[in-house]
Amino acid sequence: MRFEQGEGATRSQRLILQVTLLCVFLTLACVASAHEAPAVNKLDFVPPAPGTYALDRIMPVPEGNVLDVDGKRAPLAQFTRDKITLLGFIYTSCADAGGCPMAYQVFNALKQAVAGKPELRDKVRLVSLSFDPLRDTPEVMKSYGGSHVKNKDGVPWYFLTTKSKQDLLPLVEGFGQDVQVAVDEKTGRVSRTLSHVLKVFLIDREGQTREIYTTSFLIPEVVLNDIETLLMEEAGTAKAAKR
Amino acid sequence: MAISTHLSKSFAVRPLAIAAASIASAALTLAPLTVRADETCNSPYISKLIKGQEDYVYVWTLGIDGLGDGHDKLVTIDVNPKSKMFGKVLGSVSVGGRGEAHHMGYTDDRRFLWAGGLDDSKIYVFDVHSNPAKPKLVKTIADMVAKTGFVGPHTFYALPGRMMVQALSNDKDHGGVTGMAIYNNKGDFIAKHDMPTANGGDGYGYDIGINPGKNVMLTSSFTGWNNYMMDLGKLVKDGEAMKKFGNTMAIWDLKAMKPTKVLNVPGSPLEIRWSLNKGDNWAITASALTSKLTLVKQDDKGEWQAKEVGTIGDPSKIPLPVDISITANGKGLWVNTFMDGKTRYFDLSDPNNAKQTYEKVTGKQVNMVSQSWDGKRVYITSSLLANWDKKGDDNEQFVRLFHWDGKELVQKMEVDFNKEKLGRAHHMKFGSKKMRTAFDDGASQTLAAAQ
Repeated sequence: MRFEQGEGATRSQRLILQVTLLCVFLTLACVASAHEAPAVNKLDFVPPAPGTYALDRIMPVPEGNVLDVDGKRAPLAQFTRDKITLLGFIYTSCADAGGCPMAYQVFNALKQAVAGKPELRDKVRLVSLSFDPLRDTPEVMKSYGGSHVKNKDGVPWYFLTTKSKQDLLPLVEGFGQDVQVAVDEKTGRVSRTLSHVLKVFLIDREGQTREIYTTSFLIPEVVLNDIETLLMEEAGTAKAAKR
Repeated sequence: MAISTHLSKSFAVRPLAIAAASIASAALTLAPLTVRADETCNSPYISKLIKGQEDYVYVWTLGIDGLGDGHDKLVTIDVNPKSKMFGKVLGSVSVGGRGEAHHMGYTDDRRFLWAGGLDDSKIYVFDVHSNPAKPKLVKTIADMVAKTGFVGPHTFYALPGRMMVQALSNDKDHGGVTGMAIYNNKGDFIAKHDMPTANGGDGYGYDIGINPGKNVMLTSSFTGWNNYMMDLGKLVKDGEAMKKFGNTMAIWDLKAMKPTKVLNVPGSPLEIRWSLNKGDNWAITASALTSKLTLVKQDDKGEWQAKEVGTIGDPSKIPLPVDISITANGKGLWVNTFMDGKTRYFDLSDPNNAKQTYEKVTGKQVNMVSQSWDGKRVYITSSLLANWDKKGDDNEQFVRLFHWDGKELVQKMEVDFNKEKLGRAHHMKFGSKKMRTAFDDGASQTLAAAQ
């Protein structure tokens, strides 16, 4: 199968991007080796070029309130409008290698890749939103975000939490981010063990969810292509019809 | 995938105060699921595999005029042998009409079951998470024809946050040219995609199978409303009508939702099953009219190709293979043939050479076949289509459970859908009482109380 190259980037720009991604992956691979962290998903196919396909308007981002790392309460819309947003639910104590740690790595890779493209740098933000408002206080989220919180390279990455379960539930429900509760096989009673399926949401400037990535599709190249596709859609340079 | 109960061992007992934010404290043991596939036959995006004993079988059932309330309904059967209600019908939810109930599918979060009517083109959404023993009809989607021009919602295939619906027909000539509709999980229409009619495409549709790792979607082809609503005896004598069956499968670029290649697969290829064995990247299908098994796989150059790899029964007698179920390890395949009522097992150790190793008559007419993740339990239903089912004494309507030890199918349970005045038993999905979410009020409160 062969795909046409998109018009959104020159060959040299693409080369730079590929080198950047490669460097990021090599860095991550070293980190992964040192800390037994998971490897970022690798492509086993040639993705369609940016702008040659359309992304559906899946659903609007739900309304609700969040807390930033300084404890300031604000509408979620403040973090999902006017820029292209990648939002993922996390919790800082998550230990599943294929879940939150991988999302963190992918976000990190994307941040560096976007930062390496001046034309994208001020158009994209990342948001990690905690499931765990009790433990993941603004202070904990600040610590979890580390140097990313300070946004030195111009690609903002926000680490948000909520004040309470009441603030959290409309968001997880609105995004369709399920959390499963287990039932003890012996007693039939609901246990305290929960699990969730890793999802990351791509949101356009108007607050519409345009793609949802699960483990199978959380691949930096694919996500970056989708971001470029949205930007080309805005610029009217996409080949695919706007959906 | 089994719930990560092992994690509960490391769960620290928390102060009562923490229970006030039950979702928060529970999150301390959250375990993301790296989902690859559902129990053997569903969308790879569906979470929460049932790898142990299923508690319920949901049966999407066609209503029969004069039998019970005559309506299509979702029937819930208790299938846990440890339950006092094992083998009993726990309840049914009628949808208030009869519209040729056929197939159904879970949303990606497995909270809702979408079920379609091939005649009325309605889509019914059942909540199966609030109380898995008692599904509730929570939404009826009736805009598919108006939004798309497609008729007969057949396959319901979960995408993240969305449901892809493969239709069988259209509202212009009720033939087989059709397409797919995409809704979000809330039931809002998003987009439509026509089946390919260029480069060898016949425009027909039937099933969907996705291989996310390859960015490939595979579709198959059946026939339109004019044929599937016609009496089978009349249909087989109608030479022109018999020409109007699909003979293709299509390879799609999943990300772009664009067909990239049409494969010639004669005789109406129906269900598509990708091997779930890690590293395998092939799918298999059975063609109804030619009784052939076809493998879809990349060649040495990376091109997707279709190859005949097996024969089901005697094709000259048209046994009519109607459903297949692949084992979790990709090494075996159950095939149900409607006309002779047989359930056959094929060894797929070499997928290029499928060999039948077992067969048994499991009913006077058999249609769907579903197996548990461990392959030890095999469920069979009886109804194909209202106007294609057999007549008189041959028109058995049932769900039967068989145990499989690798050598012999042994029947362990039966629910007689005629005797129970339920209707024609068609598609099955497994349910579990464990599939409750943290957002269900009952579960959340119980969770809080437990802490």
